[in-house]
Parts: sequence; structure tokens; C-alpha cells
Amino acid sequence: MTMTPRLRKFALTAHVTTTVGWLGAVVVFLALAVVGLTSQDAQTVRGAYLVMEPAAWFVLVPLAIASLLTGIVQSLGTPWGLFRHYWVLFKLLITVFATIILLIYMETFSLMAGVAADPSADLDVVRNASPGLHAALALLLLLVATVLAVYKPRGMTAYGRRKQKEQRTVSPAVDAAT
Amino acid sequence: MSQTHVGPDRESTTSTPRWVKVFGIIALVVVLLFVVLLLTRGPHRPGRHLPGGDARAGHTPPAGVPGHP
Repeated sequence: MTMTPRLRKFALTAHVTTTVGWLGAVVVFLALAVVGLTSQDAQTVRGAYLVMEPAAWFVLVPLAIASLLTGIVQSLGTPWGLFRHYWVLFKLLITVFATIILLIYMETFSLMAGVAADPSADLDVVRNASPGLHAALALLLLLVATVLAVYKPRGMTAYGRRKQKEQRTVSPAVDAAT
Repeated sequence: MSQTHVGPDRESTTSTPRWVKVFGIIALVVVLLFVVLLLTRGPHRPGRHLPGGDARAGHTPPAGVPGHP
């Protein structure tokens, strides 16, 4: 199942755009987390935690899912495959893991927004280091995935080696027949 | 200018590269840590990674707050 060069370029563009977009969105969340922790203005602090939940639903979640799906399409539609090379496999695992954590963390965004919306809640209770910690870890994971995608370190899985061997035995037979 | 890398080169190595082993160990530790945290401390709550634990999670949001009926 190999894509045409034109389709492959389109799929690659979609994958790079969504993945880099996700990374950029995580940086914005890191900035929001810092604002929430350090700002002296009560409304700004509450606003930072209030905006995180809708922003995550409208930006982080769609980009994470789009990055995962376009990555799967990209790998299955090219000779790289999904399970043939370790770097592709690790990148897939990182994306799946980060997406699952994000979906679980959506409940936390909701709880923090609830606290921030409560006028009786003290500002020290509203402030929370959790988003910053999670954003920093997510940034680290996505940077590792980006480095893997750019450097493409060598190493084939057992499945990949078997497939390569099969292709080597098929190719000479095809050449001889033509 | 080098050609764009669109596909894998034929690789002759049969052994698992060292970077894969290192990555595998790190990934295993991270996943185990995640599972242990999930099983021992329940669902994700804000402040669970901080000193004092889930104190903030005990806050009851006011009625009418979106997502909190």
C-alpha cells in the first residue's frame, strides 16, 4: 500500500503541520501555566486556568488525534511501514501515550476551571503547578518524537527484517520474469 | 544539496541497536510509573504530583460551573 509521490507529499505536510502545531500548542500551555503561577493579578490567574479547558478541547485534543492519524497514514503509505523500523514504532508509542495522558488530563482541566470560576476560592488554591509539569513533560515527549522523525536512527524490528528478506527474495524472481 | 530522504535504506544489521535498548528501558520505566500512579492514587487530579497531594482536588466547584452540574 504505497502512496503516489503527490499524495505522499500531501500526507507528510498534514502530519508535520499537525505535529508541529501540537508542539506549539503545548508551548502555549506552558506559558499559560507560568502566567497562572506567577501573575499577581487575580483575574489573570483565574483566566489562565479557565481558558485551559476549552483551549485543550479545541486545540490540543484535535491536533493530538490528527497527528496520530496522519502519522499512521504516512507510515502505512510509505515503505517505512508502521512496525518495521524502531524509530517509527517509538514515535507511534510516544504519540499514543501522550494522547491518552491528554485525554485523561481533560478531567483535571475541568476541575481546575471549576476552582478558578469559584469567586470564594482563594488564589493560592486556584494556582496549580500541575499544568506546567504536564506541559513540560509533553514538550519533552514531543521533542523526542520530532528528533526521531528528523534523524531516523537505524534499526529494524524483527518484523521489518522478515519483510525485507521477503522483498529480497521476491524482487529477483520478478526481475527474472520480466 | 542532498536528496530528500523519502524511504528507508536497505539495512543489513540483525542486532538491536543500543539506542533502541536505552529507549526501551526508559519507555518501560515511564509506562510502569504511570500505571503504578494510576492504580495507587486513582484518577488524575490537579496537585497530585505536588507536596500535599490531592488537597486541591477536594475543592467543590460552585453550582453552574460548566462541566460541574
